[in-house]
Amino acid sequence: MFPTRLVFKNLLKHKLRVLLTVASIAIAVFLLCALQSLVVALDAGVREAASNRLIVQSKVSLFVYMPESYKAQLERVSGVERIVRWNWFGGYYQDPSNFFAQFATDADALLDVYPEIQIVEGSAKDFIDDQRSCIIGAVTAEKYGFKVGDTVPIIATLFPRTDGAAWDFRVAALYRSLKKNVDENTLFFHSQYLDKSIELGEASGPSGVGVFVLRTAPGVDQTALMSEIDAMYENGPQVVQTTTEAEFQAQFVSMIGNVPFFVNSIGTGVMIAILLAALNTMLMSAREQTRDVGVLKALGFQDGSIFGLLMAQSLVMCGIGGGIGIAMAKMLEPGMAKFLGTMFPGYEVTSTTLMMAAGLTVGIGVLAGIAPALRARSMHVIEALRATA
Amino acid sequence: MSTPLIRLRGVTKTYERGGEVLTVLNKLDLDIEKNGFYALMGPSGSGKTTLLNLIGGLDQGESGEIVVNGEDIARMDGADLATWRASHVGFVFQGFNLIPVLTAQENVELPLLLTNLSRSERRKHAEVALALVGLSDRRSHRPSQLSGGQEQRVAIARAIVTDPMLIMADEPTGDLDRKSAGEVLDLLTKLNEAHGKTILMVTHDPAAASRAKKIVNMDKGRLGDVVDNQPVAQR
Repeated sequence: MFPTRLVFKNLLKHKLRVLLTVASIAIAVFLLCALQSLVVALDAGVREAASNRLIVQSKVSLFVYMPESYKAQLERVSGVERIVRWNWFGGYYQDPSNFFAQFATDADALLDVYPEIQIVEGSAKDFIDDQRSCIIGAVTAEKYGFKVGDTVPIIATLFPRTDGAAWDFRVAALYRSLKKNVDENTLFFHSQYLDKSIELGEASGPSGVGVFVLRTAPGVDQTALMSEIDAMYENGPQVVQTTTEAEFQAQFVSMIGNVPFFVNSIGTGVMIAILLAALNTMLMSAREQTRDVGVLKALGFQDGSIFGLLMAQSLVMCGIGGGIGIAMAKMLEPGMAKFLGTMFPGYEVTSTTLMMAAGLTVGIGVLAGIAPALRARSMHVIEALRATA
Repeated sequence: MSTPLIRLRGVTKTYERGGEVLTVLNKLDLDIEKNGFYALMGPSGSGKTTLLNLIGGLDQGESGEIVVNGEDIARMDGADLATWRASHVGFVFQGFNLIPVLTAQENVELPLLLTNLSRSERRKHAEVALALVGLSDRRSHRPSQLSGGQEQRVAIARAIVTDPMLIMADEPTGDLDRKSAGEVLDLLTKLNEAHGKTILMVTHDPAAASRAKKIVNMDKGRLGDVVDNQPVAQR
């Protein structure tokens, strides 16, 4: 039989040392889960992008506007069912630190093209009918205490009002999203309100459309359709680039650099550092147990049991640390999601992340334990007993 | 003479140190009788402990045969030797060699993990062994909470808990004061006389050796006289 009791008693022999190592592993695993969840958040738009939506944007840059007239032309293209415009508004609520995304859009088309946007309070009809109204994601609404019927003043940066006042949007409804590709932080309002205000000289700012989102008909050859649209504007006035929604999201993420690689590099560094800490603890512990190993072998315990004894200590120590780290990552998920909500709206500690963390924890346990365990296993009983003298 | 319990023939053990081969035991022949109490004596480096380790299955020689109760342990591999040790030999070391994180009871129970006994049976056996060495009231104490003499008595309890036929004691009184040494030797004598255990004890101490029935003298890896010590032991 395996001396199970010895596994725990040896671990508890130097409580502070083991406690510090366990705490280090817990923090490292938590950090790893959090970093991986950021990558998941960044990737959410790509992963959950709709397959029946295409994005048309200026080939020059996302920040170069296309003429309004493109909308009518695109509507006539065979295979295009519906079009919705998206224009970045770039304002803030009361203070620049209170940032959340706002988009001028086509209200009725938005809810049609994006069925994942679900009105949970208020009325979609109210939003569609009132051009000065807006819908707000439930997360932002909860954060700032916005309720249906409230007026939300947004101070514009790209489209300032000529009287210097804020733009007022009446909250017609709050929404939640069924998929991660649409966050629950955004304020959507009517493009018509923006266009008319600029037209009447009540506000200033660039004219045109930032992005057209097209819903395509079932069975359409999207590659051919994208080529056709790009060809339509080959000679201007604004050359366009048509992509799938997934490509667009991936391109958007890549604009801020290769974040997944950066984040994964940090995570790898953290895990290597913690592996060395765990290995150091196990080497010290194994060295202190050399005499005990000799005694156990003299009593008749097999080399395999000795190997198992050391490996079990490493796995238990790393397992406890990793388990705490994983539990922390899951328990703090709502708080982290809220804290990172605006920048990483899709923050989620997925089961894949937890499995990966558990796997890495076991891996660290094995790597930290295998060298001292092999040494103890191969040590001759006389040599081990002499080490005591 | 009846068939010996242990029979050594042509046992040779060498060590290599700094490229030089040292012969620690040189073609050694020895018979150990069942229920005997042998003291191995001799100067440091004479090969006493090496001989004890070979008979106890802790080490293996280069040549020769070591037949214990009909089994040639010199031909066993490491795993078989470990299994054989677990059921046939109890060890008592000079430095006690108790596991410091375990209580006296847990230390004594340790060899029983290698048997098929249930948890409660293991506990009972350990309690009996501790009672035999007079330490029932110290079973929850850790080695650091015991005196040297008590630690060695716990080690003896651990050595006998599986009821082995052989007890190997390497300088069992070397680290003890006179009174504690006396208690340990009393115990070994009792185990030999009352419980029929065959005991091999390495010692430098003539007082300890006087408790044995036979004294085996060694020098430079060779056996000297085997002296019958019966009258002294009876005294």
